[in-house]
Amino acid sequence: MLMLHPAYQTYMGVPGLVFAWAIFLAGLSLFSFLIYRRWLPIRSGAADPRFDSWWKRLCGLFTYGILQKRQPRYLWAGVIHIMIFWGFLILGLRSIDLVTQGLGIPILRPLMETRFGPLYSTLRDLFELIVLGACVWAILRRALIRPERYRGSHQFEAYLVLGLISFLMLTDMLYEGSAFLIDRPEQMPWLPASELGALVLQGSDHGFLTVAHTAGYWLHIVAFFFFLNFLPLGKHFHIITALPNLFFRRLSRGSIKPARWDVKDMDDLDRIGVENIGDFTWKHILDFYTCTECGRCSDNCPANAIGRPLSPKTLTIKLRDHCFETVPLLGLKQGEPGEDEPESMVGEIISGDEIWSCTTCGACEEECPVFIEYIDKIVDMRRHLIETSQNPKTFNQVLMHVEKTGNPFGKPPSKRADWIEETGAGPVRILKKGDRTDVLFFVDGYGSYDPAAQSMARSIVAGFHAAGVDFAILGPLERDSGHQVRRMGEEGLFQLLIEENMETLSQISFQRIVTCDPHAFNTLKNDYPGTLPVMHYTEFFAELVENHSLRPQGPLDGEDVYTYHDPCYLGRHNGIYRAPRKILRSIPGLKLVEMERSQDRSFCCGGGDVMLWHEIEQEEMRMAEVRIQMAREAGANNIITACPFCFIHFEDAIKTGGLEDEMRVVDLMGLVVST
Amino acid sequence: MNIIVCIKRVPLTQEVDLEVDERGTDIRKDALAYVINDWDNYAIEEAVRLQEEFGGTVTAVCVGHEDDEEVLRRALAMGADRAIRVEPGNRELDGFVVSRILAKTLRDLEYDLILTGVQSDDHNAGMVGIMLAEELGLCHAAVVTGVEPRGDEALIRVELEGGVDEVSRIRLPALLTIQTGINEPRYVSIMGIRKARKKELSVINVEDMGLSEEDLTPQTVVEEVSLPPETEGAEMIEGDPSAVAGRIIQIIRERGVNI
Repeated sequence: MLMLHPAYQTYMGVPGLVFAWAIFLAGLSLFSFLIYRRWLPIRSGAADPRFDSWWKRLCGLFTYGILQKRQPRYLWAGVIHIMIFWGFLILGLRSIDLVTQGLGIPILRPLMETRFGPLYSTLRDLFELIVLGACVWAILRRALIRPERYRGSHQFEAYLVLGLISFLMLTDMLYEGSAFLIDRPEQMPWLPASELGALVLQGSDHGFLTVAHTAGYWLHIVAFFFFLNFLPLGKHFHIITALPNLFFRRLSRGSIKPARWDVKDMDDLDRIGVENIGDFTWKHILDFYTCTECGRCSDNCPANAIGRPLSPKTLTIKLRDHCFETVPLLGLKQGEPGEDEPESMVGEIISGDEIWSCTTCGACEEECPVFIEYIDKIVDMRRHLIETSQNPKTFNQVLMHVEKTGNPFGKPPSKRADWIEETGAGPVRILKKGDRTDVLFFVDGYGSYDPAAQSMARSIVAGFHAAGVDFAILGPLERDSGHQVRRMGEEGLFQLLIEENMETLSQISFQRIVTCDPHAFNTLKNDYPGTLPVMHYTEFFAELVENHSLRPQGPLDGEDVYTYHDPCYLGRHNGIYRAPRKILRSIPGLKLVEMERSQDRSFCCGGGDVMLWHEIEQEEMRMAEVRIQMAREAGANNIITACPFCFIHFEDAIKTGGLEDEMRVVDLMGLVVST
Repeated sequence: MNIIVCIKRVPLTQEVDLEVDERGTDIRKDALAYVINDWDNYAIEEAVRLQEEFGGTVTAVCVGHEDDEEVLRRALAMGADRAIRVEPGNRELDGFVVSRILAKTLRDLEYDLILTGVQSDDHNAGMVGIMLAEELGLCHAAVVTGVEPRGDEALIRVELEGGVDEVSRIRLPALLTIQTGINEPRYVSIMGIRKARKKELSVINVEDMGLSEEDLTPQTVVEEVSLPPETEGAEMIEGDPSAVAGRIIQIIRERGVNI
């Protein structure tokens, strides 16, 4: 019995082709319109150069997009997502085939009639079942396990879309399954989904099967176009935007974007920072569209963990909603975001406390499967707050001190090298203009003036002496690196510090710069112009340990158990995980355990910038206290760090927690030189 | 409401080991960083807030050299509309001379209020504001912690000894010396200060003002500046916190405080 394709049948005298074309044209027009409306905010977004390094971008697209490398960081959710994603890739071809069949231009038929056809059919059927299973699994997971990280996400939309995807699978199974029963081909590949459909329909009469076949087709087509047009309305826009977002992802690490990419001289700018949605760069708008609301960012955010009013996910959702409201799909507002907005974005939609809660630790960015950026956005909003004097008042003096004295304490530059004498570190050569040295030890403000950090600087000096390194410091010529200042949003002051430090560095001859503080390391390496030969001391000494210039001697008694805390700006932002561990492993008798959250999932200590001078009232516990707890859970009674701020925060947390007898914070280099 | 704020740039002396200069009449200032006098910062903020609420203009005035223009730029960045610097040349200045120069500068300007800081960080004399008011024949109040204009008067809050506040009315125009804590001065960013370069800053030379030699002759002579002698009697208390606390209580009791 011959079976007519549903599109070639007539319905109440109207040919099916007419319906197919009507659905196709309506669906495509509406979709084009939606995409156009969504394109408007991107078009008017600020400049952002993301068109370089095509090969690197393509490789990333493959690794993180096609292979979904970050998905399995949450194992089961990741597996489900990968199954659905790969299903989409494979079934996309099927959808094109079905739609074009209906339009009377079956462009894929030649391909399907080759040997590829049966192979593809089997794969298609297999993935229809896999996707269906994954959807059911995902629905059950959401409904029964209810992961905390989905709180505040659009749950209804998630269920709707999972249902819709399942519906697409089921209608195709109905379509193919009924076809089997009506007219089973003699030779056919293994088609498990179609067989399953046939099994369900087994025993139905011919009339019913025909109806099922026809209905299966049309429902599939209608659902397909409904789905397509539903995507740009919410979080499932990521199905369209995730791959572009991955392609245009940020390639540099650790740095903060300039005030504006397209304006070199900040003096030419009327406003600095982000106040309205239209001030974000086009890529940052694309980020908002791409958020899947999976909540991995907030799940890893230390500010969120201790009750501060910041959740990266909520931040993105709020900004996306605001973006959608500013440029609505319908309405008279013609696409110029930022004009006569009823509600101001920074201050009302996103509160100051939200913006100041971030430690810029980068845990959210490390986790996001689609590489949404947060730090640049937050710093951009901070810039606006600083430029309009809406910053916490405690910053006023700190920033004034940095401007006037080159350090946040307001201590005179002439005393910048006094730590040498105060800590008995000597001898240390202090450079003057025109001098030369092999290693330039960049001490930075805390190392120079803060007693706890001074002792770290002294240990580094002891290390230099032990290994016979030719080193010197800038002393009074040095100004703060400006890492903190930049992340607090005072870009003008940061540029001033760069200018002064670069001027000094240009007058001294050195082979490399070694820093005590990972923050100074990061900013000199990633924020300063050009490429300074800068290393953090852990990298430098790891090299010396490797070539046996530095040999930790005295074995530890083995009674203490140590754990190493990865500072954010050494680890996540610069990928230095091995060097500090290499040094530690060279210490005979050192018992080292890893915390559950280590390396790229390290939990921030509280941070080296805003938190030093501003307290967020809502926090329930200090980050450092949480981290100390993690170290204890790992079975350690010593927490090692290689960052002065971590050291200060941990020391504080141990004291306030009354844990002096049970926990100790150890500076990595201090531990090395003590042996 | 038109407001004039008189401001000054002073050395940042905290954390610095001050040294007396060769002549023994001043401290060595060559290595010091300079900032806006703290009290004046509050005065500018107060002026800008009043202007934001009641309209009018804010003019910042400074008697000083070119380097001192920095604090005028800062005032402009905070919201002042224009600035005037009076160049004193090499003349020696004291509170008297500065108040006479300011009086001459302000005499022909229109104003409802003149604000100065209570005192300056460096000399702590607290004279300029009051002498300026006297010279201009204005009503004045010192150590003001609150200003509320009411028509041709202003309700002002003044801090008295022992933490007592006095609220009174003052006829405008008037001169008020502003106490720290009256407000929270805003931060002005480096870019804000740079942008304020576009605002008007005029310079007047003191020699062109027609001041008499008497007006320009300092009335105070510094004989000697010295650092306070190091005194004995500091006791470093060592031991665990409870022992330290115990010893502190003991000392307090010994000195006759009942606790």
